[in-house]
Amino acid sequence: MNIIEIKDLKKIYNDSEVAVHAVNGVDLSFKQGEFAAIVGPSGSGKTTLLNLIGGLDVPSEGSIRIDGVNIGELSSRKLINFRLNNIGFVFQSYNLIPVLTAYENVEFIMSLQGYDKDKRHSRTVELLKSVGLGDRLNSRPNKLSGGEQQRVAVARALASKPKFILADEPTANLDSKSTSNLLDIMEKLNREENITFIFSTHDQRVVNKARRVIQVEDGKVISDEAIQSP
Amino acid sequence: MIWIIAWKNIWRNKVRSLVIILAITLGLFGGVFSSAVMKGMVEQRIKEAVSRETAHIQIHNPKYIDNNEVQYTIDGEAQNLEQTLDSLPEVKGWSSRIKFQAMANSANAGTGVMIYGVDPEKERQVTEISAMICDSCGTYLNGEKKNQIVVGEALAEKLKVRLRSKIVLTFQDQEGTLTGAAFRICGIYRTSNSVFDEMNVFVRKTDIASLLIMNAQEYQELVVRLSEPDQVTDVQEELTDGFPELLVRNWKEIDPMIGMMADLTAVWLYMFMAIILLALGFGIINTMLMTILERTRELGMLAAIGMNKHRIFLMIMLESVYLSLTGAIVGMALGYFLTLYTSYTGINLSSFAEGFEKIGYNPIMYPYLDLNFFITLTIMVICIGILASIYPARKALKLNPAEAVRSE
Ligand SMILES: Nc1ncnc2c1ncn2[C@@H]1O[C@H](COP(=O)(O)OP(=O)(O)OP(=O)(O)O)[C@@H](O)[C@H]1O
Ligand SMILES: [Mg+2]
Repeated sequence: MNIIEIKDLKKIYNDSEVAVHAVNGVDLSFKQGEFAAIVGPSGSGKTTLLNLIGGLDVPSEGSIRIDGVNIGELSSRKLINFRLNNIGFVFQSYNLIPVLTAYENVEFIMSLQGYDKDKRHSRTVELLKSVGLGDRLNSRPNKLSGGEQQRVAVARALASKPKFILADEPTANLDSKSTSNLLDIMEKLNREENITFIFSTHDQRVVNKARRVIQVEDGKVISDEAIQSP
Repeated sequence: MIWIIAWKNIWRNKVRSLVIILAITLGLFGGVFSSAVMKGMVEQRIKEAVSRETAHIQIHNPKYIDNNEVQYTIDGEAQNLEQTLDSLPEVKGWSSRIKFQAMANSANAGTGVMIYGVDPEKERQVTEISAMICDSCGTYLNGEKKNQIVVGEALAEKLKVRLRSKIVLTFQDQEGTLTGAAFRICGIYRTSNSVFDEMNVFVRKTDIASLLIMNAQEYQELVVRLSEPDQVTDVQEELTDGFPELLVRNWKEIDPMIGMMADLTAVWLYMFMAIILLALGFGIINTMLMTILERTRELGMLAAIGMNKHRIFLMIMLESVYLSLTGAIVGMALGYFLTLYTSYTGINLSSFAEGFEKIGYNPIMYPYLDLNFFITLTIMVICIGILASIYPARKALKLNPAEAVRSE
């Protein structure tokens, strides 16, 4: 069964003189447990597409269904709640609340969901261990490397038990070692816990790890292929 | 958790937060202390007016207030009234007075005065005039000698007389005949209200009653002092009900200027603080706008991951309230301690004293504030914190998460 179903999706920006068709008629669907990369040249519409799927932006046309829910029809208040409980986000940067420790950053999203302290505690520790930061619980973001910060962001994204995780160029600011480290962790979570990841990237090494590669250009999907695991 | 995040957030830019906190601290420190000085002055003036001039309650024949003529006395109810006052536990003391206008003349000058014919023992329990006579200024109406008079220092100066000088009082008796007598000054008092001192003289009731052809039981005025100032309305009501033919007035009615001052000061002090807080509020708005501008991406991220508008609003509002409260608590504490200190030492304004005394103020003032003022002020500070956060918070809520996350 598909957890995400996108039909004839369009996003047109009208604020400049010429209308920009950032996403121009996309049909896609994703299944539980996918590990999919969205690739394409700069300005091809990757970020716009991910923002639409994540409910951060409103489509100009078309529909996005997540587990049957057409998110375009949700009120903005309901949409925030929907994001909180169904979608995990990892951004390129500025993922974390700088005044909180790694532990508190992960715990925070569960406190928004209303979980009690005990539940939050055990899950937070478990998640930070699973991204290899069991010994950095009490470090603030500015004491963590870029790669470590992104791993906290992945743990935070997982904490809310989302249906899938969207990551817009999660490795763009990382060196190659941190990049492969982050990718390994994401892959492991995907393999062992069947977590769905959809990420965009420019980096060929990241693309090589993906099990599905979707190429976009000028707001259109030009190829979509499954890669057989070696 | 949002409460803690908000508190931590205000310390992200320490310098900026400290600047606004310091401004609030200074504003409240100055405001609180000025309020304490104003309030202290007014309270002192009220206390003095009550203990030296008006007492808490005065009772008259209503016609006397209209016409000011000696024949309008309290006579029929006098005994009954006195018994009632003796039986009321709230009454600390009462004094019946013969009161009328007269001309006072010395060898050098003359002026109009108000004569109070009193029973010295009873009068002491009501007014403090007897305590306002300095060691070298004689005594109150002590001893057996007849026709003694206590005058104010300002009057003595005006008439160019000294202790033990004679002055002649001229007035109309109850039948309208001009009469008079010589009195010897046995004491010179001085309150902080020189207008009062120039106007009012005290003589023994027994000396004056016969001159006025009044019988010993009647008098024009009865003044009452209570143990607790806040019992005034109750006692006034009780007396009004018991003696409907008499006019029973409280100190606010007797001296409307003082009464108005007491009522207005309360309102004025809060308005004064509100103006200070309003000015500081704009500073807070500015600070909050800056932090929000700086945190566009972070706020976008928070909205993206699912922090709803209420929570974002709450967080920003709390930051603003924390900023205001931190400064306010420090400022109020400083203001409180300075008030406490100066309320023991007093602030001596004798270099301006002459002017002050003319309008009835004591040159040494004792700042004073009550707990209620601080409680109300704290609530006002919280309100300003909340108000100041509304505009910045609305700006934060207008951010579109997609745009905020994207902006480089
Ligand atoms: N708010 C906006 N207003 C107008 N045009 C926009 C806006 N946001 C994006 N665009 C345009 O939409 C197109 C797609 O942008 P998008 O950021 O999705 O591309 P991208 O594939 O993520 O690029 P990159 O690899 O550089 O991140 C671009 O031409 C961009 O200029
Ligand atoms: Mg992009």
